[in-house]
Amino acid sequence: MSEDLKTEIKDRALEIRNLPTLPLALTEVSTLLDDPEVSTDEVARVIGRDQVLSAKVLKMVNSPVYGFPGRIGSVQHSLVLLGLNVIRGVIISTSVFDIMVESMAGLWEHSLGCATACQRLARRAGFKDPEEYSVAGLLHDLGKVVTACQMPDVKARIDEVVAADDLTYFEAERKLLGFGHDRINAWIAEHWKLPLRLKEGMAMHHKPQLAQYYPDVAAVVHIGDFLTRVYEFGSGGDDQAVPLKPEALKLLKLTMCDLEVVLDELEGDLSEIAGLRFA
Amino acid sequence: MSAIDLPRRVFLLSEDRELARTLDGLWPVEGQIAGPVVSVFARGRSALEEIFEQPPDLLLVDGRLADLPFTEVVALVKGENVYRQLPVVACLTPAAAAALDPAAVEIDDFLLLPIEPAVARARLELTMSRAARSLDANPLSRLPGNTSIISRIQNLIDLRQDFALAYVDLDHFKSFNDAYGFARGDEVLLMTARILANTVRDLGAALSFVGHVGGDDFVCIVPVELAEKACLRIIDSFDRIVPSFYDPADAVRGGLRSTDRQGQLREFPLMAVSIAVVFNLGGSLTHFGQVSAIAAGLKKKAKEKVKSSYVLDRRREGNGQPA
Ligand SMILES: [Fe+2]
Ligand SMILES: [Fe+2]
Repeated sequence: MSEDLKTEIKDRALEIRNLPTLPLALTEVSTLLDDPEVSTDEVARVIGRDQVLSAKVLKMVNSPVYGFPGRIGSVQHSLVLLGLNVIRGVIISTSVFDIMVESMAGLWEHSLGCATACQRLARRAGFKDPEEYSVAGLLHDLGKVVTACQMPDVKARIDEVVAADDLTYFEAERKLLGFGHDRINAWIAEHWKLPLRLKEGMAMHHKPQLAQYYPDVAAVVHIGDFLTRVYEFGSGGDDQAVPLKPEALKLLKLTMCDLEVVLDELEGDLSEIAGLRFA
Repeated sequence: MSAIDLPRRVFLLSEDRELARTLDGLWPVEGQIAGPVVSVFARGRSALEEIFEQPPDLLLVDGRLADLPFTEVVALVKGENVYRQLPVVACLTPAAAAALDPAAVEIDDFLLLPIEPAVARARLELTMSRAARSLDANPLSRLPGNTSIISRIQNLIDLRQDFALAYVDLDHFKSFNDAYGFARGDEVLLMTARILANTVRDLGAALSFVGHVGGDDFVCIVPVELAEKACLRIIDSFDRIVPSFYDPADAVRGGLRSTDRQGQLREFPLMAVSIAVVFNLGGSLTHFGQVSAIAAGLKKKAKEKVKSSYVLDRRREGNGQPA
């Protein structure tokens, strides 16, 4: 695949100014913010369920204006540091998808499902701060949102290949472009100065065995993505099963038994999330 | 209002008597509130010594000065780090204003000749208060600095207004700076400033203020009844966020190793916040000096604890855990 195409796609992806989100999340946060007594934690909980709002908040707090780029990977911490005033500004400037809402709703559910799975996995693996892993899970397919918003033409062609050749979304991206949303994730994370841990989770979730700095995050997101698909919760853009890399389990020192425990826990979580309506 | 209660001084460098009269008439004496005192210098050169010895609060320079190009006066003042905070406003004819090269002449504003008194007064006031703010603001956090802090506290004391004043500083900040360098230390100070500003604002009280004394020393003013809540929130946020500012290995270990002044390897725990809170109740304080003396004593107490903690003057004490 030509370098020119890659550069063109990268430029278009990084041009993104205003990622839209789904109407429901936005309304919910706006309602909370109207309450002068609202606590930062409450707002963080709702924003933490929406991949685009979470991404925006993390982008803002890690921007050089605040003076500590690349340090903050938690939505709750971001809210403490930005303050509710700035959050109001972020919310006011966020628009909603005017088209394709239905096709995007599946991706929202998939992302939130993956975030939940990552949190369970991180706990099971004995990691100290499960939220760090769930944020990476929430944002792991952000590159797909960026493509849908910035390059609807490219997204339409990927969808065609998925349907015609019976491929996963990731395979179709690579067939068509020569790279996948994992690469777009890497560009975005770099450009927005997100912490390296988050970047590795987003950029290496399809190849956790190659993660250089934080293979633990990449492995958790990889398995989280797999488990969400096992439950067919939401949609990652295709209805294929994705392969589970055994290296990821080994990396986290988890056995198949552990995985079954997590699957059980996840079943309860997911039915709870399904109660929150999307689109 | 200027921070210190001396009348502000405005210097005008101009041969134009009409202009001098207009400017002098801008601030008529109104009751108790004294406007700035305007001194007029017809010759630019003669004014320089006085400007350098006792800089005014505002310097107005006529663009038509005969003995010294006004650009030279501006360059002299703005070229010295000690004087560059002094706001300089030029009085220019429309032609001179149109020909002005803002990159070459470092003025803060200009007034068009002939000047319109009401507009001129508003713009000059604006320029002076902007200069006072930027002069006093901490260059790193841009929070108000010492002059504002002291005048705010003294004002509240004079009004016999009840308030709680929290002195906030960081434990083990020096060892963090030594291990990671100043740039990383500045990141932590900016993070701390954000936590304080947001916590205090979220209390939603009219009486609230955050200032940056310098280095890792900050102050917050909050209503008496909200002081403990503010302390708990500040400590909780700081303790949760600060590990992100360490290298991953140090964050996991819960501290860092570095050599102390004697060259000995020492272990330092993660940074923590110490807060000492002084209250003004029913006019118990009479001057600013008392506040800092009481706070110094309390700080010692707060510092005895290894973890983040707060000490309330003549009230309950806490160790960061809600009772
Ligand atoms: Fe993916
Ligand atoms: Fe996925």
